[in-house]
Amino acid sequence: MVLSEPLFAEAAAWNLFDVNVRLGSSGIHGELALDTEGLLSEMDRFFIRRALVSHWESEEYDAELGNEALARDRHPRMTPVWGILPDLQSVAALARREPVAVRITPGSAQHNFSLATWSAGELFDYLQQHAVITLIAISDIGWSGLATLLENFPRLPVVLLDTGYRADRYLFPLLERFPLLHFDSATYLAHRQLEAFVESHGAGQLLFGTRLPLFTPAASLGVFATARISDDARLAIAGGNLQRLLASTHFGGEL
Amino acid sequence: MRSPIAIADCHGHLGVHPDFPAYKASPEEMISVMDHLNIEMLAITSTLACYNDCPRGNAEVDPVLRQYPERFLGYITVNPNPPGQGVAELQKWSHFHSPPLIKMHPGLHKYPVHGKHYLPIWEYAHDTDAVVLVHTWDSDPNCGPLLFPAIARAHPHARILLGHSGVTWRGYMQAIEAAESADNLYLDLSGSQNHRLILEHCVERLGAERILFGSDLPFLEASMTIGRVLTAHISDTAKEQILRNNFLRLVKKT
Repeated sequence: MVLSEPLFAEAAAWNLFDVNVRLGSSGIHGELALDTEGLLSEMDRFFIRRALVSHWESEEYDAELGNEALARDRHPRMTPVWGILPDLQSVAALARREPVAVRITPGSAQHNFSLATWSAGELFDYLQQHAVITLIAISDIGWSGLATLLENFPRLPVVLLDTGYRADRYLFPLLERFPLLHFDSATYLAHRQLEAFVESHGAGQLLFGTRLPLFTPAASLGVFATARISDDARLAIAGGNLQRLLASTHFGGEL
Repeated sequence: MRSPIAIADCHGHLGVHPDFPAYKASPEEMISVMDHLNIEMLAITSTLACYNDCPRGNAEVDPVLRQYPERFLGYITVNPNPPGQGVAELQKWSHFHSPPLIKMHPGLHKYPVHGKHYLPIWEYAHDTDAVVLVHTWDSDPNCGPLLFPAIARAHPHARILLGHSGVTWRGYMQAIEAAESADNLYLDLSGSQNHRLILEHCVERLGAERILFGSDLPFLEASMTIGRVLTAHISDTAKEQILRNNFLRLVKKT
């Protein structure tokens, strides 16, 4: 028996677009971090055509230095996700990049700022006005913080990352109330959870994600590939939903 | 995606917890998914027993084993609280499987795996060549992987599966270190943290013979761990050992 044949060959037809990827060296995750070539190699192994990519340096150190590294190192298959701080100078620098996506890391061990309007109001005004896709991990915002952000900026397209598999009682009410809230599949890994979600809520707010380079794409792709869902739902989650969000951004049109 | 080899799964549950999302979790729904993914058999432990009530939980497993003897193997779940209950449960349900399959959850039962109330259970496991699946978690004072070498060396006939292998990257490193120091410690791959390269590390340091496929079905999705194994940079022989042969060897169903 040959086990090493491509396991996910059917995924070649899904136009996979990964919403949860980081590039570059990491001071925390050492051997797991990947450079551009390494990341492309992993994407190819798992039939991932494109990815929204942020840079570890933006997250772990200086947002703007990380943005410069991302601009330098990214491949055309990688749509840049910029790091951002809330001050007006940073927002102006971000605007010059004509962003389609940002990743916000406000935790005290990272960029250490409040998401409240008195702190980051101008930033979120800008992001909402231009429909910039705003990525944030649940560990960086918390459920109450997320609810407040969505109430203050209901037209902001927020993609919640690393939601985990035990959060449905928090997640579902917010998804139902805020149609521009989306979440990624990288950690949505409970038994049959993905297909049960599609049955109950449809496929429109779920985006394929892997958490590369920390996690192997085999995990979330395994869940996705074996979910008993319709072809339309699979294509939407694989990349259609993210393409739709990108097309709606002020600087987008990447269909 | 479907596993090209029929899988023997060392880590599953029967029943759900109200606060843990578990979809399609009846025995029949689990069998449907097992057929979908090519999991031939699954060893199950009662969720009720892991959280709250071992006597009632083990009683729930019994009829499922009788109804689906080709698909499910049964762990007897034991709790050190109150002292003495564990061995009584092992004796009561000894017909589940021979050698006995025993499940401990020191994390949920909040009692250290090396505590004195577990000692009679470890002695029973040693005396009966039991396979003991124990929940583990990175550095946990009740069930951290590094607590196990001393237990394993004191009870060398017990075959001890480190459930989830400590879960995190650091937990896996602890589990590998523990297994390197005791030949009767095994790694269970079930878990939600799917780090790249971790399985390759396990095989490189331990060989494939003491690594077991576990899904944690119906809590966690089996397909993610199947994908991890089948796409890992390890030999096909190692994949077959992990997905099937190693657990069958332990439960003597080769």
